[in-house]
Parts: sequence; structure tokens; C-alpha cells
Amino acid sequence: MFGGCSLGQPARKTHLHGFHSSRGRMVSFAGFEMPMWYKGIIPEHMAVRNAVGIFDVTHMGRVLISGPEAEAFLDYVTTNNVAALPPLSAHYSTMCNELGGIKDDFILSRLEPKKFLIVPNAINRAKDYEWLVKQSQAFDVKIEDVSDNIAMFAVQGPKAEQTLQEICDEDLSKIPRFKGGWAKLAGVEVYVSRTGYTGEDGFELFVWNVPLSNPDKAIKVWSAVLEAGRDVGIEPCGLGARDTLRLEAGMCLYGNDIDENTTPLEAGLGFVVKFKKRNFIGKEALLKQKTEGLKRKRVGVRMLERGIPRPHHEVWKNEEKIGHVTSGTFSPILKRGIAMAYLSTEYAMESTTVDVRIRDKFVKGEVVRFPFYDVTQYGYRRET
Amino acid sequence: MMRTQDYEIPDELYYSKEHEWARLQGKYTVVGITDYAQKALHEIVYVETPVVGSKLKQTESMGVVESVKAVSDIFAPISGEVVEVNQALAESPELVNKDPYGAGWIAKILPANLKNDLKNLMNAQQYADHLRKLEEK
Repeated sequence: MFGGCSLGQPARKTHLHGFHSSRGRMVSFAGFEMPMWYKGIIPEHMAVRNAVGIFDVTHMGRVLISGPEAEAFLDYVTTNNVAALPPLSAHYSTMCNELGGIKDDFILSRLEPKKFLIVPNAINRAKDYEWLVKQSQAFDVKIEDVSDNIAMFAVQGPKAEQTLQEICDEDLSKIPRFKGGWAKLAGVEVYVSRTGYTGEDGFELFVWNVPLSNPDKAIKVWSAVLEAGRDVGIEPCGLGARDTLRLEAGMCLYGNDIDENTTPLEAGLGFVVKFKKRNFIGKEALLKQKTEGLKRKRVGVRMLERGIPRPHHEVWKNEEKIGHVTSGTFSPILKRGIAMAYLSTEYAMESTTVDVRIRDKFVKGEVVRFPFYDVTQYGYRRET
Repeated sequence: MMRTQDYEIPDELYYSKEHEWARLQGKYTVVGITDYAQKALHEIVYVETPVVGSKLKQTESMGVVESVKAVSDIFAPISGEVVEVNQALAESPELVNKDPYGAGWIAKILPANLKNDLKNLMNAQQYADHLRKLEEK
């Protein structure tokens, strides 16, 4: 059944490592020892779709950018419109190289008029920090990697607000999607952002000033959320459910679906590329690509026959290879295989049937729009 | 029934290092994956069974078991011709989790070289020792 197991590097740990290792199946991810699942990927996934789940996402990075020219700098180094972002708000964005290749994708928050927070992907923590520092030479800004001093949890699902409200001193219903604010949670000062990576309503919690050597405040918040959500069926969720949830929602995973060889336009992230901005890194290359037209696009593929598409599987049409899968899994909601794939533009249209080459078989699938689930039943737009 | 701390290991079966089992049943041999294998995979969501009529060689891949996250080959524990596969796994792959030695069987094989093949497999005691060693690692 199994090949050899890989020898891990000395793994980094988060504040909640004790909880994770006593309750979960642990894996190494981006140098961190993290839970893949506790009860199981499917029950954790369903808890988030139907009620609420909590994820430790402290392995991701946290970088503060502040100073008189912080806004101008971020408008230069990222693709979205930072000037248009009010304080206590967030937007999704990308950071590109000069060729328009994606260096990272992240949520950027404006905490104060001249103070911003970026949350890089775990695998890009060092790379992003170095890039930001390098590109900031001409700007009057301060860039601080505060990752190790802030714990970060995601509380996601239709019961997320109700759960957090029980232990929160501020009225969370006054924080709309992609807005944030400071609040006391279980008596601990936390920055609460109504954002996430699951497609559901939910919050990301930043527990400030909590070093690994003194994790009490982080543990206190985590435990209080679990307690507050007990009656509605909260589950602690691992990286496994995090991946299936984001995939069902159609959200990219850096390293799989996007990297420095893909552009935001090919990835279907054109909505965070603001060409009206005077200048930003990658603008020229992206504008050229936009003018010339895209050769390939990221699409969703829902399997029509049994079989689970996985990264690197080829996609075929009429005996011709037209692309490849970058992420694939079994969808707990659809109960079938789903994938993200890059296809030649001519085939990247809804309802196109394709063949995914899964090992030695060609298995039928169809191109669908994101998210994969019915938005009237699941996700933040659901009709309750 | 043998048990390690966490896994069931029926006495009457033969076992491969890669965690398949084989049960002699008249002139046929029924094969599947062990309790250890199903627990390691967790939440099995897809099983690709071999084609009926195909001829397998011991240790070659005869199918695939997939959990949400992982894909694992099933290696033929013995050589022979596939005479039947477990059709129920198409609709209910979770049978491998629920009952790995019973309702979760994978295929029935007409052995080609049974006596020799069995020499390469372990009995329950040997397999239990094999698992203990793996767990110690």
C-alpha cells in the first residue's frame, strides 16, 4: 500500500501545538507541524458548511507595513487598489514580479491610515518579506515580520458570528464582510477580520503580542471559541478540510494553482488587477497579456464519472491534450471529484465536456463556474 | 484474532508488507487491505478495483484506494486471474473502512502459483511484529 515515509525537518510549532498533537493526525506543512485532521476531513468540512469550525492558521505569515508612504508603496508592489481601501477594511490581492507572475496572493488589511497588514502564504513567508524589503528602498516605510508574535485563527461557517458573539464585547453584526475591528474575545485583545478561505461567512482572529514562549492568550481564545460553539456543533478543523473547503469555493492554493509562472489574469484573478493605477510591478507585462489575449485560463472541472482528479493529471478533448489539473479532490458536498485546471482558452468555457486522464483511464468531466456548490444553499451568499 | 495495540489482525489470513491480506477460500483467494491500511488512509472515498479477467503478478499494482487527501496503490498479494471484484465499493467505498476483512474485500483471485506466493507473505503473528516495528519508527 504505502511507500516510504519522508524524513521531516525539525518542525516549527504554533501556540496550539499541544492541542493539535494530542487530538489530531499531524503532518509537516511548509516547515510547520500541523494537524491534517482531528475527527476526519469530511466531518470537519461539513461542520464548516453547516455550522462552524475553527482552524489554527498561525503557520501563515503576518507582515506589518507602516509609515508615511505605506499606501503608495503597497499600491506599487501589489495589484489591487490600496488607495481605495478604508481603515479597518481588507481586500484580496496579489503581488507580482516584473513579468506578471504571481509572487503571492493574500488578504491585505488597512489597520490604520498609515498601517497595513499582509498575510502571506506559509510557504512564502521568507520570500515575501525579502521582496517587500527589496522593493521598498525608494519609499518611506517600515516593514516588520510580526508572524511569530501574533497567533491567527479562522472561525468559519454560518454559525461563526453567533459563536464568537458569545465571548465578544463588540457587536459583530456591525462588521460586514471584508471589514474588521478591535475587540476583546474572552477578555483578550484581538483584531477581528470578517474574511476567510472557505467560501462561508466567518472571521479571522489575530491575537496580538502572544509569543510562542508564552502562548496562554492564544490558548485562551482557542478554548473559549470551542466552548462557545459547542452547542451548535463546532469542530476544530485541520489542513485537510481547509483544502477541500477552499477548493469547493474555487479559491487558489499558492504553489498548486498559482505561482510565479502564472499571472493573475490566467488564474481568473483579474478583478484584483487595477490597470487604472499609475504604476505597479508587473503592470506592463500584464497589460501586454491582456491586450494579446490569454492562451490559457484556470477553470473548475466537475467530474461526471467516478474518479478523483489530482494535481498534474492531463486534461484532454478530442484526442488532444488541452491542459492539466493543478488541484483536485473529492468534494464532500457534491460527493464526486472536483478539480481546478488550466485549459487552453478555447475550451475554458462553462459546460464544455473534457476527459481527465486519471492514471490510465480517461474520465469525463465538465467545465463549471466557481464555486462548485449551489450558492443558494452553501457559502456566504446562502439564502437562510 | 491477533491484535496489536490499535489494529485487528485475523489469524487465518496471509499478509503482505504493503498491508494487503489474502484469504484462502476453496480454490480461490480473496484479497483486500488491512485494518492498519484503512486506518492510515482514513475516510476512503474511492476504490479502483482490477478488471475481471485480468492476470496479476504478485506485488504488481492491481488497483488504487483513495482517501480525500491520498492515493495509494493496492499491490496484488498473490499471482493469478481476477474472477470477481467487489462491486459494492463503487457506491460505498467506505466499506473498506467499516469492515476491511469482510464487506470491504477488493477482489477474488484464481491463484496461479499459490504455494510459492504464500512463502512471500506473513502470518498474523509476523504481520503484528511488522506493524510494531513500523510504529516504533
